[in-house]
Amino acid sequence: MTTLASKQNTSLIAHLLRRASFGAYGEDLERYVCQGYEATVDELLNSLGNDNIPYDLIRRYHVEQSTLRNQTSARALWIYRMATTRYPLKEKMTLFWHRVFATSAAKLINARPMVNQIDMFREHGMGRFNNLLIHLSKNPAMLMWLDNQDNHKNAINENYAREILELFSMGVGNYTETDIKECARAFTGWTVVNPAYMSIKMRNNTARPYGYMSWQFNIDEKDHDDGVKTFLGETGNFNGEDIVEIICKQDATPRFIARHLYHFFVADEVPVPQWPYTKPRNPDAIEELARSYRDSSYDISAMLRVLFNSDFFKSDEVRFTRIKSPAELVIGMLRMAGGLKVASYETYESADVCSFMGQELLSPPSVEGWQGGDEWINTGTYAERVNFASKMFDDTDRPGIRSLIDRIKAAAISGVLTPRQLVDACLETLGHIAASDNTRNGLLARAETETDLNFDTEEAITESEKKIATMLQLVASTQEFQLA
Amino acid sequence: MSTSTVTQKPELEYLDTVGFVADQGGRGFHLPVDMAIRSDGRIYVASRSHYQSVNIIGIQIVSIKHEFFGQVGSHGSGDGQMISPSALAIDNNDRLYLADDVLQRITVYDKTNTYTNKWGTAGSADGEIDGPSGLVFDSDNNLLIVDHKNHRVQRFTTDGYFLGKFGSLGMRDGQFDHPWGITVDAENYIYVADWRNDRIQKFTNDGYFVSKFGRSGNGPGEFNRPSNVAVDSEGFIYVTDWGNQRVQMMAPNGTFILELRGQATLSPWATEYLESNADEAMARSTYVPVYDTGSDDPNEISARIEPYFWDPVTVVLDNKDRLHVLETGRHRFQIYSKFDG
Repeated sequence: MTTLASKQNTSLIAHLLRRASFGAYGEDLERYVCQGYEATVDELLNSLGNDNIPYDLIRRYHVEQSTLRNQTSARALWIYRMATTRYPLKEKMTLFWHRVFATSAAKLINARPMVNQIDMFREHGMGRFNNLLIHLSKNPAMLMWLDNQDNHKNAINENYAREILELFSMGVGNYTETDIKECARAFTGWTVVNPAYMSIKMRNNTARPYGYMSWQFNIDEKDHDDGVKTFLGETGNFNGEDIVEIICKQDATPRFIARHLYHFFVADEVPVPQWPYTKPRNPDAIEELARSYRDSSYDISAMLRVLFNSDFFKSDEVRFTRIKSPAELVIGMLRMAGGLKVASYETYESADVCSFMGQELLSPPSVEGWQGGDEWINTGTYAERVNFASKMFDDTDRPGIRSLIDRIKAAAISGVLTPRQLVDACLETLGHIAASDNTRNGLLARAETETDLNFDTEEAITESEKKIATMLQLVASTQEFQLA
Repeated sequence: MSTSTVTQKPELEYLDTVGFVADQGGRGFHLPVDMAIRSDGRIYVASRSHYQSVNIIGIQIVSIKHEFFGQVGSHGSGDGQMISPSALAIDNNDRLYLADDVLQRITVYDKTNTYTNKWGTAGSADGEIDGPSGLVFDSDNNLLIVDHKNHRVQRFTTDGYFLGKFGSLGMRDGQFDHPWGITVDAENYIYVADWRNDRIQKFTNDGYFVSKFGRSGNGPGEFNRPSNVAVDSEGFIYVTDWGNQRVQMMAPNGTFILELRGQATLSPWATEYLESNADEAMARSTYVPVYDTGSDDPNEISARIEPYFWDPVTVVLDNKDRLHVLETGRHRFQIYSKFDG
């Protein structure tokens, strides 16, 4: 009974860590199990310090990571951080906001403003939503992405105004076209320093003569429409900050954010454009999360606490149902393998692998971001996933891989590991994977083509370790391993 | 020791900027990491670039008059090629020496810029190198190499025969933590930019510790990862305070005198570019280059303010003691001259 309860608890915490982190294995998972579920939620939510990233070494060895103009370099820097962070939920939330507030370096050309935007998500992404939305509205990457430098007092450009309502806070059906125009008026003059020169460098895609300049937010008071506006039923001389406050107190806003959180952490929802016409998968869960938003004065962490402690999150029905995004898969594997070196190009290769799998970090396909779900998987991207996992397990000298193999070896009884024990140990070690009978039988059939593994001699140990690594590669190529 | 009149209240005057981003090749530099000036005034600049833009990896030859003489070497591991150029030095026969911290070797070119030799073995034993990051010739025409991942300085003949070493990993006097640049003054003292210890150390020609100055910080006389050092004919010391994005000038005893943040102007190459691109020139005509960023991050400030130094990586003096401050982030070098204030 105790063993069953213990396994259930371990399985639940492994589920939490697949969703709120990038997965946990071995001793790391044991530590969380030891402290219990609620304490683990607390640790994830309260671990809000700053990582001690060795920027000096990174910039010395990869000189282009100072300017961060190059997109692959910028992606590599973020991947390094995610793969080494002590605050995984913070990085998960940074990924979350990158997906919701999708902005792309493909248009901005210079990747540095995107890195600055990601830094902003990291700093404010788990605080109050109104504060985050104000920072977003002042973020140079967002302003240039949605052309707000062209939103003038006497000639509005409603691009940002439309998206802040449609995609960033409330969703279609909760405002009028007039609200969009009034919203745009409130954001007139919200631009960057030197907008004309910054814009043309971006449009001409030129670093000449001396490289790109990073952008700085600026309010051009002369270009700001200070007149009376009527927005969502309220009237006043609103500016952008006023607009954000009005947005944040609408009933639609917490429901919209809650649905995004549910989609990211609990179970896949239909694509965002269908939300006005399709009920949430779990309306009660959305209402529960929305209530926590209102009760906490728009605090995102309060919503997350409710989510992770909820029955709908802990339910067996939602475990191993979400397809890991490429970033989740790649970062999870890098963290599992360990041994990432500052001076290596592995993070660059990993950034490219993410792109090949369908998630080009810092360059989402459109302002709607990545839909995810089934769209992550096709014949080509699945092959990339399998190849990446295979490559990671090939290097058995990496500390994390070494540790996994040692744990699997420890499952041997009387120095022998039968095919069934090998399969069970690999499934358990790679995150208590709930494999289907079909998958388990397939793995077993493969394992049974070999004799029992033994560890009597140096030669036998070497041979057995190779077979363990091969079985880990096979487990990592299963459908179940693609699921969080 | 110089016999010239010693400057009493030195100041530095901005003279000019040489450079242009050559991210697609051609005239200019791309992410340069070191430079050296030959006796005839020709200036060699090593462009590191990055792996997605390898055509510009090489050593560009220019002059203070904005002449461009082409490129030495190219990307690759063959003779005369390079993967990751890290440092340059010129011997008393005007031969050029290039360090490559991926290939772990020294490549030698003659006065006509033709490849003549290469040497170097990766490792940590005597005479082996791991990450050569600074080069300078001593008065005997032997090459001092900052062997930075071994946290030491090694001395070789021009043909690569090991002569000696000093330093080890640590914080004590005479120890290093990822040292970077190196120079030798007129009295044959050796100065090393002890990068991760945030200080400059001074040694005798034999490698015995003499003195040190600097500590971690961003105040006067403090450093954030100093990358290189130069000493002029009067003993004044110049340090590229890389992490603080500035250059500091010190008295011969290491006390702070002044700092530079950079004030680059458009080089003729930059001006010619804008003349050929009227839309950019027009937009630039209303551009305000220097403004209050409100940021306390020197790297981000340099990213926004074009005239400021961005990753000032090395400072080199010519035969008139003029400073040439090379900036990795802006693909150019700024020139300054000392005068009595």
